Amino acid sequence: MFTSAQLHLAKVFLKIFLRNRQSIFFSMLFPLIFTGVFFFSGGPSDPIKLGLVNMSQSAIASQFSDLVIAEPSFNVTKGSLIELREELIIGDQTAIILIPEDFTFIEGSSQLSLILDASQVRQASSIQETLENSLLAIERDVRGIKPMFNLVVEDVQARPQRYIDFLLPGILAYMLMNLCIAGSGFNIVEYRRRGILKRLFVTPIQPKDFIVAIILSRMVIVLTQISVMLGLAIMLLDINVVGGLPSLYGMVILGTFIFLCIGFFLGSLAKTQEAIQPIVALTSFPQLILSGVFFPISSMHEFIQPIAHVLPLSVVVSGLRSITNDGMALLTLNSTTVGVGIWMGISFFVAIKYFVWKEVAN
Amino acid sequence: MLGPNGAGKTSTLEMLEGMNDIDGGSATINGLNVSQNSYEVKKIIGVQLQANEYFDRLNLIELLILFGKLYSQEIDPITLLEGVNLAEKANAKPEELSGGQKQRFSIACALVNNPKVLFLDEPTTGLDPQAKRNLWQLIRDLNSDGMTIVLTTHNMEEAEYLCDRIAIMDQGKIVAEDTPQNLILKYAPEPPQAALHGNIEDVFLVLTGHELRD
Repeated sequence: MFTSAQLHLAKVFLKIFLRNRQSIFFSMLFPLIFTGVFFFSGGPSDPIKLGLVNMSQSAIASQFSDLVIAEPSFNVTKGSLIELREELIIGDQTAIILIPEDFTFIEGSSQLSLILDASQVRQASSIQETLENSLLAIERDVRGIKPMFNLVVEDVQARPQRYIDFLLPGILAYMLMNLCIAGSGFNIVEYRRRGILKRLFVTPIQPKDFIVAIILSRMVIVLTQISVMLGLAIMLLDINVVGGLPSLYGMVILGTFIFLCIGFFLGSLAKTQEAIQPIVALTSFPQLILSGVFFPISSMHEFIQPIAHVLPLSVVVSGLRSITNDGMALLTLNSTTVGVGIWMGISFFVAIKYFVWKEVAN
Repeated sequence: MLGPNGAGKTSTLEMLEGMNDIDGGSATINGLNVSQNSYEVKKIIGVQLQANEYFDRLNLIELLILFGKLYSQEIDPITLLEGVNLAEKANAKPEELSGGQKQRFSIACALVNNPKVLFLDEPTTGLDPQAKRNLWQLIRDLNSDGMTIVLTTHNMEEAEYLCDRIAIMDQGKIVAEDTPQNLILKYAPEPPQAALHGNIEDVFLVLTGHELRD
């Protein structure tokens, strides 16, 4: 399947990578930091710090104040207005609820005040919503009525899915794209600039041999990085790969192939090390936005959807997501797997066809 | 191949090596038409380029084995390094070598496939006299073992010392081609003085003019 020259070259590339301690350190650090960020930011958010000034003696005021204190999303400090206002100014409190002296149960007459620091306005709506719910609960309680409606949110796929479950395959694919394009595109420009490629192509090897060798060696590196990240995600973030790990790894391998080939093409397009950076940014950023990494493509403007669906990152994101979330098997024939197959063909073709090993004039 | 800068020496060499398209005429090496069989030609030639850079973090042995594999050949790197007097540097990286050692190593790389024709592009440029003489000896030895060597140079002394045939190039054309002796007899100024003072450098300047190139 592979020639001995291809395998040896792949081994050499791997050796070069493994002898570069700095690159090993950072390539393993990246998945660690990445999963760590999700782990530490993904938990319940800290309760909002609220100051509570109760100037009323009425029973209804103390009932309301008890409800606010019991609210888990608030961390309530009781105190005087002057004291709490100072804390608000220095940022120790997010907002102050002021229960006025005349807070009694007389219909339409009771009024609460919420004192906010303008910089904390982002949290105002959630505070307001919780306060309104608390007031409604008290009102129902006092009037002795039960809530008329209940909203139950039910998942159509009848299994719990969190945002992280949606996000992880997308981020995985995006990470794959960046690792691969850096691994092939940037390397090839550097090898060409230094004349290393020219020296290599004085010998009877073909662009195909060189490309296959880099793909093989990078595959080992990328799969190790992805395994570290995936292992951590499964342990720390409780990620469940519904379609099974073999299918997931299969899709990662196919994605790696596509992005490495795209990297070769971009590396051939760029004549200099300075040019490769904007060229890579230009290909990767629009895809980050348009490929449904953070939110589904179906929520985008209708005009852009047909383009968004056929981007290489989109097909890989959708493939990975179908495997992790919907339990798709790798060998299923559907629009996603066909898309992956088509991109494999296109990317390999352009990588070989436009491969430039000679230093080109600027 | 002698010629001023920009005369087309390297371009000609690269055409012969199958690395540049031949835009006029044809080239044949060992009976093979280069433009039709560039892949086959690459198997029987050895090439030393002007710029010699290699992959980082590999030592001389590993690089030689790699080049051997690219010709699908198992080689003995130590014997090759001994041939260019670099055996004691076997575990060094190319960037740790001196200029002369680097050139000798690049010749060792060009010899991994035991080529019929060896192309050397300005092999002694930038070397001190000792390193230059050492490399000349190496080139002579290879040649006397039966290897055809095509080299480009600016160095008249080198051409005179090493070459059986010299082609003088200017502006993409060969303006004279013969043995060093015949070229001197034919072109060196003032024949009575030629035996005493004339040399290939005089021939070169007569043919290509005195003005500075590049």
